[in-house]
Parts: sequence; C-alpha cells; structure tokens
Amino acid sequence: MEEKKRIKRKIPRALQDALLTVGVFASAVALCTLLRRLAEGDGYVSLVFVLAVAAVSRWTEGYFWGIFSSLCGVICVNYIFTFPYWEFNFTMTGYPFTFLTLLAVSVMISAMTTQIKKQERLRMETEKESVRANLLRAMSHDIRTPLTSVVGNTAAILESNGAFSREQEQKLLQDVNEDAQWLIRMVENLLSITRISDEQAKITTEMEAAEEIVAVSVQKFSKRFPGTNVSVEVPDEVLLVPMDATLIQQVIMNLLENAVIHGEGTTKISLSVRREGNTACFAVCDNGRGIPKERLGTIFSGGLSGMQHNDFDMKKNMGIGLSVCHTIVKAHGGTMSAENLKSGGACFRFYLPMKEGKSNETER
Amino acid sequence: MKLKDKVLIIEDEQNISNFISTVLTANDFDVLVANNGAQALSVITSHCPDLIILDLGLPDMDGGNILREVRSWSNLPIIVVSARTHEHDKVAALDMGADDYIEKPFGTSELLARIRTAIRHTRTPLENSSIARSGKFSVRGLMIDYDKHRVFVDGDDVHLTLNEFKIVALLGKHAGKVLTYDFLIREIWGPKAKADNQILRVNMANIRRKIEKNPADPQYIFTEIGVGYRMLDGEN
Repeated sequence: MEEKKRIKRKIPRALQDALLTVGVFASAVALCTLLRRLAEGDGYVSLVFVLAVAAVSRWTEGYFWGIFSSLCGVICVNYIFTFPYWEFNFTMTGYPFTFLTLLAVSVMISAMTTQIKKQERLRMETEKESVRANLLRAMSHDIRTPLTSVVGNTAAILESNGAFSREQEQKLLQDVNEDAQWLIRMVENLLSITRISDEQAKITTEMEAAEEIVAVSVQKFSKRFPGTNVSVEVPDEVLLVPMDATLIQQVIMNLLENAVIHGEGTTKISLSVRREGNTACFAVCDNGRGIPKERLGTIFSGGLSGMQHNDFDMKKNMGIGLSVCHTIVKAHGGTMSAENLKSGGACFRFYLPMKEGKSNETER
Repeated sequence: MKLKDKVLIIEDEQNISNFISTVLTANDFDVLVANNGAQALSVITSHCPDLIILDLGLPDMDGGNILREVRSWSNLPIIVVSARTHEHDKVAALDMGADDYIEKPFGTSELLARIRTAIRHTRTPLENSSIARSGKFSVRGLMIDYDKHRVFVDGDDVHLTLNEFKIVALLGKHAGKVLTYDFLIREIWGPKAKADNQILRVNMANIRRKIEKNPADPQYIFTEIGVGYRMLDGEN
C-alpha cells in the first residue's frame, strides 16, 4: 500500500520533469531561431543553451534531466545552429569543450539543488524532532510526579505494620487511585499521538454520528468527575462527520477535563454540536475563571517548540492536553479556537469538515 | 456447601490475574488461573468453567485461537480483555463468538457487571427469560412488546419503523451485551448488505430521537465506539 503510493507519486514527478525539459528546450530553440533572423553570427547560441541546461538542472529532480539536457544542448548547438546547419560536424575544435562546459554546469547546479533540498528536509526533521523531544521531556517529567506519590503512598502502607488508622490508609489509597487514573489519561494521550503517524498525519476516518461520540465522551467524563454538571446539546439533524472516533473522543474528553482542572471553580460545562457551513462545530464552554490573557495566543502549541521547562503547567499537563487536541483536529483537516466568554469562563471550539477531505484516504 | 460459579482467568500478567482473582473470590466465585494458552486449553477441558475471562494478548498463542477452539464444542460465556493497542482484535473476537469485552484498564464494578450479565445469558436459552415468558422486555421506562412489534416509553407508543423496531428488538433480546455493527447489519439487512455503518448510524439516531429524552445523553441504548451498541441491562 505504502509502496504503491510512492510509485504513484513518482510517475507524475518524472513526467513533470520530462515536460519541463522539453518545454525549456523548445523555448531555447525558438529563441535561437528568432535571434538568427535578427542577428548575424552564432555567438549567442551556446549561451542560450547554457541557460537552458542551468534551468533544467535547477527545476528537475536528481541529475538525470540535467545531464540529459546537456547532451541535447550540444546536439542542438552542433546540429541546428552552427555552420553547417542541419548537419553534425564534430571536427570543428571547441565542440568537446562546449559539451564539457554544458555538462559541468548541469552537474554543478543539480548537485546544488539536491543539496539544498536535503538541507531543507534535514531542517524540518530537526524541528520535528525537537518538538517531539520537548513533548517527551515534558511527559516524562509529568509522569514522575504521580508515580512518586503512588510508590510513596503504597510503600508507606506496606511498611506501616498497621500503624495507620483505617481512615489514614483510605486517604493514602485514594491518592494512589487518583494518581493512577491521571497516569491512565496521560497514556491515552500518548497513544493518541502515536496513532497520528509522522508528517503524513493520515488517519482512517469513518462516518460517525457526532451525537454518539459526544454522548460517549460525556458519559465517560461523568464517571471520572461525578461532581461536574455537563449539559449536552445536539441539533435535530443527524450530523455525520468523517472522523477517527477514538481520537475525537479524546479531544472532547481533554477539553472537558481542562474545563474542570484549569477552570478553577467550574461547576457547569456545556457541550454542543452544530452545523456551521460545511463543518461540524463542537464547543466546550465552562463557567470557570477563563484563560489567562497571556496564554491565549500560544495555547494550542503549548509553546512546545521553544518551551522552557518552568513554563510548563507542571502537574496538570494543560499544554499537552491541548496540543494533543490540536494535533488530532489538524489531522482531521479541521481547525480549533479558544476564547474567553463575556460572562466569564472559557470556550473551546473545534470544527471538523463534514465531507471527506482530500487528506483522508477514501480509496480504502 | 454452597455451589459457586467457576471462572477461569486466562492472563499472562501476574498482577492483573491476582487482582481479578481477588475481586472474584471476594464476590463468591470459584477462580482458576491460567498463565498461557496451552495451560488454558487443558484447564478448560478438565474443569469445565462456567465463564472464561480471556486476555487477547497472550505470549504463546493468539487469544483468537482459544476462542475458536472453545467455540467448536461449547457455548460457555467468554469475556475478552483487550488493551487499547489491540482495538481491532476485540471486534474480531466478538464476531468470532466472544460474549463481551472489557477494556484495560477496567474497574471492579464494571468487571462484575459484565460477568453477571454473561452468566445470566447462558442460563436462559432464549437469551432473556422474561421475553420468553411474557413476550415483552422492559427496562426502566422502556418496554418492547415483541408480539405487537411496538416499543413504548413511559407508556406511550413511540412509533418505530420496521427496521428501527428490529434494531431495538435485537438489542433488547441481548440486553447488557454489546452487539457489533457487523452483527446488527447482517441481522437487519441480511448477509448481502455491504458493511456500511452509515445507514445503521442514521437509524440509531432516529431511534434515539424517539426513545431518549436527549439523544446526546442516552439512557437506554449506549454506543461503544468502534464496536457497536449495547442496551441497558434491566437486571443489573
């Protein structure tokens, strides 16, 4: 499958290059023909073809077309445009030299082009790598805190020999349980990220009823946070949206959790879905303290690329949760926004295209 | 001596099987444990457990093999345990005849509920004893009248179409059990229907608009993402 794809993409590229070569040469020939009518002598011919070879080498991939065009160039110069016209004549001195010049130009420019492309790719990879490294560093750091508490609390109970009262033990175990739950959520986020493979960010989507995904997320959320009231609203119309349901559920869960954990004092969350043009708009709004102004701008990147360790919202992984959301929504070809409500509280929205976009694999 | 239901846990992770077996013992089950597939198969034939809890990720063989092997001679209830990394395996396991699935990490109440439902279903050959007796299934305000082909919510007929009724009726018969998308499509639209989930999604949305107060907060029919639907179990 993957292999097939690559070949498919290669063919048009080769064709493109061939067409480009032919095009450039056609114009070079046309130009020379024109110049021959206007001017005496043929000094310009070699220069025009050097230019043509340079152009071909620059705009095609690899060395093949460049070298091919330098050969063509020599033939054109020799056969068509220098005396005797329409005849080969390699006895004249200088022709091997013309050929070598053209060849050298093409090789040099092809090499340069290839190198530039390679550097570009390398730069992108490094950048991606640094985002990933930052994410990993942040996650490992975040994971260590609850693990410490799990190990500490359980060890305390195991080694206490019954010195704790029943209530004390319950309290410690309660903490362990909460930390373990938090770790599970973190791992779920990690799994979601690994599902979106690399730069292709291709996901397998299926037409899902938005209301079902919303309902499942809310029911799961209410189990984890029974104290928070979530009101859900869906339109009468059934919204079928192409999506990876597990991932979108993750987005909704993260947003709901965010509202509780970072809202500080959130008691009510409203979750709604509606159609907006050709997109399905999911909105999670709360009545908490809202998003700090200085964070509004970079809230989805989590500042991950240039992040300092201390900037991170240590124990609550806000940055990670939201950047996971953003990654998932982007992989669906959707967009995301965050704002503060006038009535207080934050509102996060994400929009998913309702038609299968071209980023989705429909052939499968 | 009190007779207890015997549960076989097939799980290679010692910590998990310890945890499950502690919970089950405390809840009046007899517990057997097998750490690998080969051992499991021999325990199944020699002890004839009443229920099997099967982890799909075993070290020595594919959990699916055990499932197939057992299903070749017995209908004893099997609950598969799956991790999120084996998402497709659990649907395959259900289609291969597993009775239910539970996802890691799970809580004890969830596990016990699944076990009770699965054991009850095998005791009543007509899937649900009260349906067999009265021709009706009811849970909370919902009542399915199988003889009259009608569904009532809080006493009112909700006027389902034929296919909608078929879906609800099927879920009711297997209340508490998850029915996969493929299973439902095959049962309602026949074996030749193409596996197009979309029509099922739309039918379900329409059903919810008729039987649920808020279709986005359903009380009777629950979605299991990527797997199928489950009707609220009346007896749990």
